[in-house]
Parts: sequence; C-alpha cells; structure tokens
Amino acid sequence: MTLRVLPACLLAAALCSALAVVYSSHVVRELYSKQQSVEYQQWALQEDYSRLLLEHSTLASPHRIISIAQDDLAMQPPQLSVHRLVQFQGGQQR
Amino acid sequence: MNRSRVGVSKPALWRLVFVAFCLFVLSGLLISRLVVLQVIDRDRGVGFLQQQGALRSVRTAEIPAYRGLVTDRRGQPLAVSTPVVSIWANPQQLRDSADVVQLATTMGQTPEALAERINLYSDKQFMYLARHQTPDQARAILDLGVPGVRGEREYRRFYPAGEVVSQLVGLTNVDGEGIAGVELAYNEWLRGQTGKKRYLKDLHGDAIRNIGVIEQARSGKSLALSIDLRLQYLQHRVLQRAMVETGAAAGAAVTLDARTGEILAMTNHPVFNPNSREGFDYAATRNRVVTDVFEPGSTMKPLTLVAALESGEYTIESLIDTSPGRVRVGRKVLPDPRNYGEISVSRVIEKSSQVGVTKMAQQMGHEPILEVFQRFGLGEPSSIGFPGERSGVLPNRQRWSDIEKVTLAFGYGLTATPLQLAHAYAVFANEGSQVPLTLLKRNEGESLPIRQVISPEIAGQVLEVLNRVTGSEGTAQKARVDGFRVGGKTGTVHKVGDAGYLDDKYVALFVGVAPIENPRFVTAVVVDQPKGDNYGGGAAAAPIYSAITDGVLRLHNALPAESHEARQLVGLGGGA
Repeated sequence: MTLRVLPACLLAAALCSALAVVYSSHVVRELYSKQQSVEYQQWALQEDYSRLLLEHSTLASPHRIISIAQDDLAMQPPQLSVHRLVQFQGGQQR
Repeated sequence: MNRSRVGVSKPALWRLVFVAFCLFVLSGLLISRLVVLQVIDRDRGVGFLQQQGALRSVRTAEIPAYRGLVTDRRGQPLAVSTPVVSIWANPQQLRDSADVVQLATTMGQTPEALAERINLYSDKQFMYLARHQTPDQARAILDLGVPGVRGEREYRRFYPAGEVVSQLVGLTNVDGEGIAGVELAYNEWLRGQTGKKRYLKDLHGDAIRNIGVIEQARSGKSLALSIDLRLQYLQHRVLQRAMVETGAAAGAAVTLDARTGEILAMTNHPVFNPNSREGFDYAATRNRVVTDVFEPGSTMKPLTLVAALESGEYTIESLIDTSPGRVRVGRKVLPDPRNYGEISVSRVIEKSSQVGVTKMAQQMGHEPILEVFQRFGLGEPSSIGFPGERSGVLPNRQRWSDIEKVTLAFGYGLTATPLQLAHAYAVFANEGSQVPLTLLKRNEGESLPIRQVISPEIAGQVLEVLNRVTGSEGTAQKARVDGFRVGGKTGTVHKVGDAGYLDDKYVALFVGVAPIENPRFVTAVVVDQPKGDNYGGGAAAAPIYSAITDGVLRLHNALPAESHEARQLVGLGGGA
C-alpha cells in the first residue's frame, strides 16, 4: 500500500513546489517592478527637491536681498540716533 | 529462392542488435558526460559553464548614492547634490549610424566634432557623449532613440552660495569625491555608499531583465557648519571692496565666537567660482585663513603685555621712558615715529611704541614672553581638520641674540595663520580662557573643554588697553564701530623676500574683539601687499574690521554701548 501512495505523494509535492516556484517568481517580478517605479518616483522627487532648494537659496541669497532692499525699496540701515531701547515691565529679559 | 534468402537472413538480426547496442552506449556516454558536467565536476563543469554564461549576459550596474548636504548654521544650503544624467554610447554602434547628425544638433555640437570624437573611440565599447546633463536635456537626447546611446543617472554638486564660501566649502571632482576644503575634510561623512544591482542584457547590451539589488545605495549624511551665511556674505563683500580700494594682492578675514570656539565666517581674496571649472585658478582655491602663515608683528604686543602684567613688575599704568624716541639693540636701532617721552604701559600699546616694548622685553627677558605665546596656542595646530591647515612656528633655539630676544616681543621671528591669531585673541574675549576651534555647529548646551590661559583680571585689563587702541590717541581709530566699544591691535609687517625683509612690501593686520562690555566676537583681518601710502594695519586692515564688526554686532542684536550704560544706571546689568 505504502509503496503505491509514496510515489503519488512525491509527485504531488513536486508539482506543488513547481507551481510555487512559478508563483514566487511572479511575485518577485511584481515587487521588483513596484520597487523600480518607487525608485523612479524617488529620483523624480529628489530632482524636484534639489531644484527647489537651489531656487530657494537663489531667491533668498543675501546679494539679492540687499539689492532689492537698497535699490527697489530704498531701505537703509537704521542710524544709531533713531535706536530706542524698549524695556519690558517685569518681563523676562533676554 | 533468392528473395526468400534475402528476406529472412540470420545475420540481419545480429546487425540490428549491434547497432542498437552502439546507439545505447553512445547515448549512455552522452548522458554520463552530461552528469559529469552538470553535477559532479564543479570546477571545470558546472561552475565554469555558469560563469561563462553569466559573463555573456549578466551585468552589474552601480546605483548612485546621494551625497550629503552642506549647510550653514541656520540651515542654508552651501553644497547640494542634484540628479543629472550622463549620456554615454557604444562607439561601435554609432560609427556608421545616420543619426549622428541629429544627435549632434540635439546636444548642441557640430556633427563634424561629434564624428571626430566617435572616431577617436572607435576601438572602444564605451564613451561619454555628454556628462552631467540636466534631466530635461538628457530626455531630449534619449528620446531620439538612437541605438547604442544610453543615459546613466548621476549626481552633480552645486554650490548655491558660489564664490562667497568657495575656499571653505571646497570642491568635488566629476565623480563626486571631495578634493578640497570641507568637501575633502568630511568626505567620509558626506559621501554615500554606492549600491549595486544586477541585470540581464541581450546581445546589443540593452537591459532585458533586472535580477535584483545586491546592495542598496546609502545616502551620505548632511553636515551643518558653524558658518553664518549672512555674516559670511557680509565679510566677503567688505573684503572684496577693500581689496579693490587698497589694490592688495590678497586678503583674508575670519570671525570667531570666542565663547564656543565656532568659526562664524571665513573669507579670502582672490576667489573662484566653484560652479564653473572654466578659467580655473588653483591659487584662488587656497583658504588663506588656515593655510598661509606670516609674521604677526605688532599684533603680538598685547601678548607681551600679558607677560609683563603676569611678571608683577608692571601694571597698565606703570611709566616707561621712551625718550629719545629710539633705542639701540646690538647693531640695530629701533625707532618710534616720534619721541613719546615718558608714557604708561597702556599708551605703549596704544601707540605701538617699539621703544617701549623693547624696554619691557629687555627687562623681562624672552622666556616669559615665549611661554605666554605658547600658552595662547601659537606654534600649535589649530586642529579644525581643514586640508592644508598649518600651525606656524614658534622659535625654539639654544642661543638667542639680543635683537632676537627683543623682536620676539613685537612679533617677528615667529609665524602664525590668521585663524591662530584670532584664536589667541579669543582668550581676551572669554575671560582668559580658550575653547577649541571648530568649523561645525555646536549643539546647544554642549560641554566644552575650556582651558584657562590667563587670569580673568589680566584679560580684563588687556581688553581695556585694546579698547584704548581704538581711542583718540591710538593707532586704530578707523577700527571704531558706531555706537559700540571695540578693541584690537594693528600690525604692519615687512614681507620677506629672497634677500630678507622687503622695504616696500607689507602685510597689514588687525585683530579685534567686540563688544568690550560683553566681549564675544573676535575678527582677524589680513591684507597682503596693500598699495599706496595707506599700507599700515591701521589704514588698510582696521576699516575692514570696522565694517565687518558693524555687521556682526547688528546681526547678533548686540546692545549699543550707550544703552549698556543706561541699563547699568537702572540696575539691569549688561546681559545681551
């Protein structure tokens, strides 16, 4: 009896394992393509991020701020004579 | 008869058996050979065959790693890595291609130039067509779909602050490795770990299937410097303008926070543009603040004053007779600009009197002076880990001539960098103690290894004298800052040429501390070879100090001196 069941079991196991291999390689491929697309997304985001970082620092550069303040807005550093020292009443001084 | 004999001949069966046997043996041989190759013989069989197969189809590619950001102390970016695409091609495939013309025009080159380059690499399998293209440019080229042309992701370093911090932040090479400045010093920290992935390629070299990632790419860490970009920019602007006005060959300035040892700004002239390698000048990449040494000259006199005060033989009000305005030491005569007569020790420093300092030095001997210089950290490396950093030299000789003993007291015969000078003066600004320097931002409440160099009382007295140097009798009236009390010392040193000291070439120096009531910021300014009559430290370097310190105090919301007095009158004390 066992002699007849054993080969059948082995055959079934081999078949299952073969199907599992097919399935897992399919899953791997799927996950890999997902990873690829996420990686691509990361790349694109990084592209945006560094571009924005550079744009931001160009817009906020002291050179630009000074030229806007002085030329466009006609601002100037406050003279010492117009300084006023304000005291907090009972407040914490820093 | 004949038919029947042919049809059922006995030998026919024997032949059939023989052929069947042979075929069986042959196939047995084949199978056994197959078993040997595929299973038994691992070295010359399976392993070898698999390796050969992989050599023809499996490739590993690098995954570029993101290099860390360099920022100033407030998070402003100083060095940023941005994704770019490098276009490469297989010249074999491109050689006879009709697409070269279209490719060249898209890349902005002439077809002839491109064809020539392709010819140059005609026996290779790989050539770069264009490195570091922006993603948009690269897309335009790759969208042409020319066979054999592919893109590779890389990072390129951009320096948003440009020439303002160029020498300090330094550079990376085209492969993203630091080669100068902070980029080199902290390369290991900033660089990421390149990853690896494996893929299958077809006959033409196109990737057909990705096998997987062998090693994930790891990003580099970001680095916050102690620099304040606003201050750095201000210093840069002041220094560049002064260089034009004085016609000097080179210049350097550095500002420290004496309490924490942080370097707040560090600029140089000449400068270079780190974002472009065209017309690149290597001399301009030098960060003179840490790499150039010179004799500090009269800026050492306050240290000599420390030695005098510590000896107990002098107070700042002790009188010294400087008549007749010159003094003979050995074969040399050291003159003052005019005869100051009998003046106080404080006035000797204010006027930077050679005669007065000489007399003090002769009285004390050179040992205590040298010992004070050593204690202030001269001749020792400043240890900020900057590439090319130098430590200057303190003389260490067996026999001292009379003139050497005296000139040491006013800063000849030793060398120092601008950074070391500023660090020495930080002692006066920090109640006589010194904190190690750093280029990196310190954390709030970080415990610092403080070294007490001189007593707080002496530091206070020297500070008072330094303040008087900027007073109405002093040599550095141009160092004054509107509304604040500052102090410092000028220096004018002859440059050294092939035949000793040069008569007409000078280095102008100023080192100062501000504000006097609540000292914190130390700035050293060096102007190399100022032209014209205004070559002295008081004329060429002090105005630069004044302009820089004005900005430093404003940016840190320091209280003007008058409001200090007002606060003290109402009993609020002088905290800033």
